[in-house]
Amino acid sequence: MNQPFKGKLSLVTGGGRGIGKAIALKLASQGSDVIINFFRHRDTAEKTAKEIQDIGVKAKIIRANVGDPAKIDEMFDVISNDFGYLDILISNAASGVGRPVLDVDVKAWDWTMDINARALLLCAQRAARLMEGRSGKIVSISSLGSFLVWPTYAAVGVSKAALEALTRYLAIELAPKGICVNAIAASAVLTDALKFYIKGQEAAHQQATPAGRMVTPEDIANVVFFLCSEDAFMIRGQTIIIDGGASVMAPFVSTPGGVNQ
Amino acid sequence: MSIEEQIKDIVAEIVRVDKGIIRREGTFKDINADSLDVVQVLLRTEETFDIEIPDEDAEQFQNFGDFVDYVEHHVAEKEKA
Ligand SMILES: NC(=O)c1ccc[n+]([C@@H]2O[C@H](COP(=O)([O-])OP(=O)(O)OC[C@H]3O[C@@H](n4cnc5c(N)ncnc54)[C@H](OP(=O)(O)O)[C@@H]3O)[C@@H](O)[C@H]2O)c1
Repeated sequence: MNQPFKGKLSLVTGGGRGIGKAIALKLASQGSDVIINFFRHRDTAEKTAKEIQDIGVKAKIIRANVGDPAKIDEMFDVISNDFGYLDILISNAASGVGRPVLDVDVKAWDWTMDINARALLLCAQRAARLMEGRSGKIVSISSLGSFLVWPTYAAVGVSKAALEALTRYLAIELAPKGICVNAIAASAVLTDALKFYIKGQEAAHQQATPAGRMVTPEDIANVVFFLCSEDAFMIRGQTIIIDGGASVMAPFVSTPGGVNQ
Repeated sequence: MSIEEQIKDIVAEIVRVDKGIIRREGTFKDINADSLDVVQVLLRTEETFDIEIPDEDAEQFQNFGDFVDYVEHHVAEKEKA
């Protein structure tokens, strides 16, 4: 089998489940060893690690709350000691407090910003050192909420806007080190968690997407793979939108797929 | 200080309530804690006692009594090991 990432090491934050898991499996299927960072669900992370090992590459799980700088440091200390290098960093872990903007208090704001935006800063700082001379790749997972307004999404949306801006700064400042930095912004992605929330509304979601179906975790993983490949070498500091065309549709317009509301 | 007292201190500080209203039969809802408060209490408890409380376990707690028992049990297990 063709394994372009053989010998590489990837770290996927929040890689135990959902989109992070799909990304971890994709990178592993391309030959990369994978470190799965998790926070509250050890069992799930262990299962994902097992699936990765079954592919035939190395997998390791590391527990760390990426909202806590000391824990990020501990995680990278482990990676430094055990491997001493890193090729790919996927900043995927996210959390957030869903509240109307007037109810976002300092605690909710800090929690969301620390996990979703500051984590990229701190992880990238440590990762850059481990990527020395290895043409590293950094990809962050953002969402359309960075520029579109969804109900109760204020804190997360703002944190994603910060993540995308940071992606641009990192792309320029890490370019001399040979590191490519980009982001992916997705619309609603059909993870197991989301399937639960939108039960009964699948058809409406599908209709609002010109491409005719919802985005899957594998759609994201495929673009992550591309951005981490040498084919994407000249793409820097970009946020690639994966939404089946939903965000470029003008509101209240009929489409072949239905009506965008 | 007992584990129960230490947990009550953590809850009182994070949820910003008087320690006296935290009872074994009570719940987070009773003291108006939001979901972020709950996560932060779990995190601080994990750090204080150097144990791990996965969400799967935390979801089983019916009240503070269950929470305290869980922590006591895991601290004892750790000391045995
Ligand atoms: N699902 C969507 O519709 C959608 C749409 C657009 C963008 N996104 C973005 O895609 C990414 C993944 O989303 P998802 O839906 O797959 O995630 P999810 O189901 O909400 O799961 C969150 C993931 O992040 C991890 N995590 C949360 N807080 C963490 C922390 N403090 N430290 C370390 N890890 C932490 C979780 O690990 P534990 O379970 O171990 O705690 C879990 O693996 C996120 O950045 C999200 O914003 C998702």
